[in-house]
Amino acid sequence: MSKEKCSLTGGKEKRGELVRSLAWQHLVKQEEEEAVKKEEKEEGEDEEEEGSDSSSDDPNPEPPCMHPDLLELVVDREKCRKIRRQYRQLIYTVQQNREDIVNTASDTLSEALEEANVLFDGVSRTREAALDAQFLVLASDLGKEKAKQLNTDMNFFNPIAFCDLLLLFVGFNWVEEECKEFSDCDDSIVLSFWGMLHEEATSWMLQAETFHFIFGSFKAERSARKPRLGCHKRACKMEGSGDMPTKLRRLDVHANQETTEKEVERILGLLQTYFQKYPDTPVSYFEFVIDPNSFSRTVENIFYVSFIIRDGFARIRLDQDRLPILEPTNVSQVDDESDSYSYCRKQGVISLSLQDWKNIVSTFEISEAMIKNSY
Amino acid sequence: MLQKPRGRGRPSTQADPERDWGGAGEEGPSTSRAAGGSSQGSRASLSAPTVGPRTQKQLELKVAELVQFLLIKDQKKIPIKRTDILKHVVGDYRDVYPNLLKLAAERLQYVFGYKLVELEPKSHSYILINMLEPVEADAEMRGDQGTPISGLLMIVLGLIFMKGNTITETEVWDFLRRLGVYPTKKHLIFGDPKKLITEDFVRQRYLEYRRIPHTDPVDYELQWGPRTNLETSKMKVLKFVAKVHNQDPKDWPTQYCEALADEESRARPATASAPATSS
Repeated sequence: MSKEKCSLTGGKEKRGELVRSLAWQHLVKQEEEEAVKKEEKEEGEDEEEEGSDSSSDDPNPEPPCMHPDLLELVVDREKCRKIRRQYRQLIYTVQQNREDIVNTASDTLSEALEEANVLFDGVSRTREAALDAQFLVLASDLGKEKAKQLNTDMNFFNPIAFCDLLLLFVGFNWVEEECKEFSDCDDSIVLSFWGMLHEEATSWMLQAETFHFIFGSFKAERSARKPRLGCHKRACKMEGSGDMPTKLRRLDVHANQETTEKEVERILGLLQTYFQKYPDTPVSYFEFVIDPNSFSRTVENIFYVSFIIRDGFARIRLDQDRLPILEPTNVSQVDDESDSYSYCRKQGVISLSLQDWKNIVSTFEISEAMIKNSY
Repeated sequence: MLQKPRGRGRPSTQADPERDWGGAGEEGPSTSRAAGGSSQGSRASLSAPTVGPRTQKQLELKVAELVQFLLIKDQKKIPIKRTDILKHVVGDYRDVYPNLLKLAAERLQYVFGYKLVELEPKSHSYILINMLEPVEADAEMRGDQGTPISGLLMIVLGLIFMKGNTITETEVWDFLRRLGVYPTKKHLIFGDPKKLITEDFVRQRYLEYRRIPHTDPVDYELQWGPRTNLETSKMKVLKFVAKVHNQDPKDWPTQYCEALADEESRARPATASAPATSS
């Protein structure tokens, strides 16, 4: 009995050494106190538990005098509690010093293991053995990390150097001088740093470029939160259909052609009404085709008007300012000149960039499209 | 439309689909001609007895839908699940699903140079990877492609590989903090960096993120996910790290040997991950 006690106190002393050997002196006291508090709490719980144990034992028809076996059990309990406390203390200490144990080449881990070994000599019940196992798991985990540490030591890979080199790599060797922390830097520097790194990184990956529609896809509006249980199913359906894009009814090449013809006819109609209204003033080509609100509509209009010109319903001419104008081809006015125009086919290419379009809109101060949407 | 598979023994079974395929080839719209090469090859495989009287046009349309679906799904870079493909695109064409997928994969390859790959064998989720080796000049052509997150991803991948294929989350943040990226602070480019790394990259399967057991305080570890191995390789990441260091990859012998072994094992099973073969 006394021998055991001796070994136990020995363990305690060793723990003291362990604590001292680790570099966290200023924290020791505080943590120790906390640990003690924590333990006291746990002890309290133990006490309660055991108290209830004994109380459940009480009703047993034991003789009132203390049986010697029972007496020893009580002693055992005291001892077990002590062992548990020591185990917990050990686990706590090792846990707290995880970093030091992993990163320094000290024997702390093996010392802790030895201590646990000593403690295990006194273990007789499952409860204490479970704590021993818990410690062992922790210790082996640390061992694994230590082994990994050893590995990286051999590899000479230094993250801190890597970080500095990253900055250098992008050409930011002056960063350290100008601002102490990278996070203090200007937004534009942050943007260009990650932008350049992104470019470099993409050349090392086979990432598929993502596919996007030029004008984006339809906005998937969040469907209204599902109505509460009471609501009708039909209501849900109505809500759901709000998310769907309008379905294309028919996709047919012929149908497409028809719409072109229709559009050409419609625009010809517009042009002819204009000519009837103002028979003497030719219409400016740009003012006619440009839709100030839509570049694509403008391009479409140019396309349709080209049919009108080809079919000889109107012609394009340059006025005195060398700007294109549209004028009617008067059938009654067939003189030699117009004859030669209509029979000698000329081809012209019109180029119009988005910027041209913008410039024309602003120069001609076009605020409204002459060709309005038919739909 | 008749969906039920017809009896194998009946002589008409062979002729029917054959006629459908052939007939539609002449009437089909011009778009179907563009894919003439692939439909030729598919005719034989698709004339399986289960094919109902579907015209080639219908099947072509289905393949086109599937291609579009895959491209749009790829926007978020989250692996595309087979169940989603079946639910949203394939529908009644379930019986010819493997062939539809094969044709879609062929077309993605012809038109876009993308390869449809099953993320992991038998995982039934797919990703698109670029088959064309990146060219330096491409970077300028690429234009604005959303947030430039690849650099961050590459750094994390590099750290993981150089540190022996596993790294704790704490280590990652210790590193990124030096580059002005904090787990709890909103970043100009990355928004919520913690979410980006531990959720978005994980869902895209670039990274694996799991709790390290028996740590107090709790810590997590990061490893490469399956997508990383498909889009890049140990050797490429090592070369990236080496380029940043302005050193030779061989200066890290352990990593170099590992990367070399990885290259060799890649070279051996050539078509193991192709989706078509798994069907």
